[in-house]
Amino acid sequence: MVSFVVRRLVYSVLVVFGVVTIVFFIMNLLPDPSRMMMGQRADIATQTAIRHELGLDLPPWQRYLRFVEHAATGDFGRSFTSNRPVLSSIWDRFGATATLAISSMILASIVGIGIGIVSAIKSYSLFDNASMLFALVGISVPSFVMGLLAMLVFGSWLDWLPVSGYMWEGGELHIEYLVLPMVVLAFRPVSIIARVTRSSMLEVMTSDYVRTAKAKGAPWKAIVFRHALRNALNPVVTTVSAWLAGLLVGVYFIEYIFNWPGIGLQAVDAITRSDFPIIQGTVIFSALIFVVVNFVVDIIYAWLDPRVKLG
Amino acid sequence: MSERTNRSNESEAAAIQEVQPAVESIRTELLARSSIPPQLTKEEHERRKTENEQVLKEQPHSLWYYSWRRLRRNRLAMAGMLITIFLVFVAIFAPELAPFDPNMQVLEYSTEPIGFQGNVLLSKSEVDTSLTVPIPIVEYRVQGDRVIYTTDEGRDHSIPISRLAGNSPTEWHKTPTYYLGTDRYGRDVLSRLMYGARVSLTVAFFAEMCSLLIGILIGSLAGFYRRWIDDGLMWFTNVVWSIPSLLLIIALSIALGLGLWQTVIAIGITEWVDMARIVRGQFFALRETEYVEATKALGLSNKRTIFRHILPNSLGPIIVIATAGFANAIIYEASLSFLGLGVQPPTSTWGQMIHDGYGFIAAGTNWGLTLFPAFAIMLAVFAFNLFGDGLRDAFDPKMKR
Repeated sequence: MVSFVVRRLVYSVLVVFGVVTIVFFIMNLLPDPSRMMMGQRADIATQTAIRHELGLDLPPWQRYLRFVEHAATGDFGRSFTSNRPVLSSIWDRFGATATLAISSMILASIVGIGIGIVSAIKSYSLFDNASMLFALVGISVPSFVMGLLAMLVFGSWLDWLPVSGYMWEGGELHIEYLVLPMVVLAFRPVSIIARVTRSSMLEVMTSDYVRTAKAKGAPWKAIVFRHALRNALNPVVTTVSAWLAGLLVGVYFIEYIFNWPGIGLQAVDAITRSDFPIIQGTVIFSALIFVVVNFVVDIIYAWLDPRVKLG
Repeated sequence: MSERTNRSNESEAAAIQEVQPAVESIRTELLARSSIPPQLTKEEHERRKTENEQVLKEQPHSLWYYSWRRLRRNRLAMAGMLITIFLVFVAIFAPELAPFDPNMQVLEYSTEPIGFQGNVLLSKSEVDTSLTVPIPIVEYRVQGDRVIYTTDEGRDHSIPISRLAGNSPTEWHKTPTYYLGTDRYGRDVLSRLMYGARVSLTVAFFAEMCSLLIGILIGSLAGFYRRWIDDGLMWFTNVVWSIPSLLLIIALSIALGLGLWQTVIAIGITEWVDMARIVRGQFFALRETEYVEATKALGLSNKRTIFRHILPNSLGPIIVIATAGFANAIIYEASLSFLGLGVQPPTSTWGQMIHDGYGFIAAGTNWGLTLFPAFAIMLAVFAFNLFGDGLRDAFDPKMKR
């Protein structure tokens, strides 16, 4: 077990190292940031000074070593627009993203697993067909389209919920600001979780031990919840954790549309302002979170399920 | 064996003579068993016999035949396929089908409602006489060699007939219908949607081809050679997988410059991860099969084994992942153009149309400008997902939904 953890850890570090390398290459393809930073006062002396400060006058391999070294110590430079250190401005925004992602995934898990179970028990019924078609629609709608539709219907037409802003306003909690982005964000994961739960449950419901449970006359509830669901949840947990990792790092459109001040909104703003340090910092930070979540999930899996190979 | 053949014919004949009765009795016994059972009439027996012969005569069909038969029975999948064909048709024939030039601006007709009827005189452009410029009017009358027209501000203007495009009033006076209304610049929403389908489907198609190639290449290499090649390639795959796709696509398209092919490449070189994994998994599974082992025994080259034996047998899962990838590529293209980082104006794209209409949403007006392109994206992705789901069921009936 210990060697498994160590091996996974080393692998995760290698993956993050790979991400840092790729980001370095892509950032080298981008236009020279010194021009962006100078703005209107473009004289050679200033440019040379900025280039020296950023290390752009060094040969590429030295720049690469410098980049990796800085990344390893969490130094991603300063934002071109606010001049704040990149890591701290990302960290400040991460709370909002995490709140949205986690609350959304809790909602999605409850609803998705619920729909999946009922669909599997009453497979090929009207409810099953309707909910699976609904799930397919949910998968097909891009998040920003869903966000705009929700905004139009619940914000503008029905005027039930606020459409723009953060739930913490002047130290007070306004939970209604969370509702729309949370529900919209949950839509796709609900669809996918429902589909995965359904197919996994269907498979388990035809297994020998469920047949045995039925044969010995176990009550319906016990069959579904004690025998079937427990064994069917494995792929569901994989899906939920993958989506949690995905949402923690990529809620760009929902944050942008609902003006939710997370790392996604910050990244979109950085893109429109060509604030490259923020973009590259966000990419590396996101990859790090993604790798950490997957690492933790792997460890929990190995710990919970003895069938997982530790090789 | 050789000894036996060298034996004299006589002794062989004697041996046959010896076993003859036994052989004969077995033959009669077998014939008796296979003969018509008493409960079957002669006709019934003949019918069954010809039926069986018919079945045996038929060529055993390929996987494709059975998959297609299963697919054809799946109504939802067929609906998805028909919608997809329809969209491709619209995209290809957009110039013929679109009622307007998608970039023709009539500023007076800004944000008009659905089904709005225009009333315009077509005049020749002063810059290039082969182009026409529409002049919105309320009414007009011909006076000698000039046309007097009233604008919606109530003022009268006149224009020589020679400056109008065409020879008769039916040619230069039009009352076109804007079926889905107009956008901020007075451009026809329906025509822009039709042209938008071209961008969306073109980008998605080529991006998917690109990621198909990369994914199959990396997946086959990793799955076939294993060991350190597999370790290295899977490490690379995991690295790309760990970077949020959308951010990677955005960074790449900024780095490559904005445009159609840059968008294609940015999406294509980000979205191959699932494909590589599936192909690798297929290689792992198929390597253990007899026919792949047979290629080794026959001494076929690795190239031939990969391309002639393993890949064709992995086509089912590859096609399924490719359809899903195509649907995703449509979403990524729309997302990029929504952020203004995709194909650049004046080319109309669905994402960009949504972005242009998005400003009206908060006010709750002109919702059509957002809803129509949103609906187009949803329809395209939905159709493809329906089709893809059907394909998965058709190729692997065990893996339903």
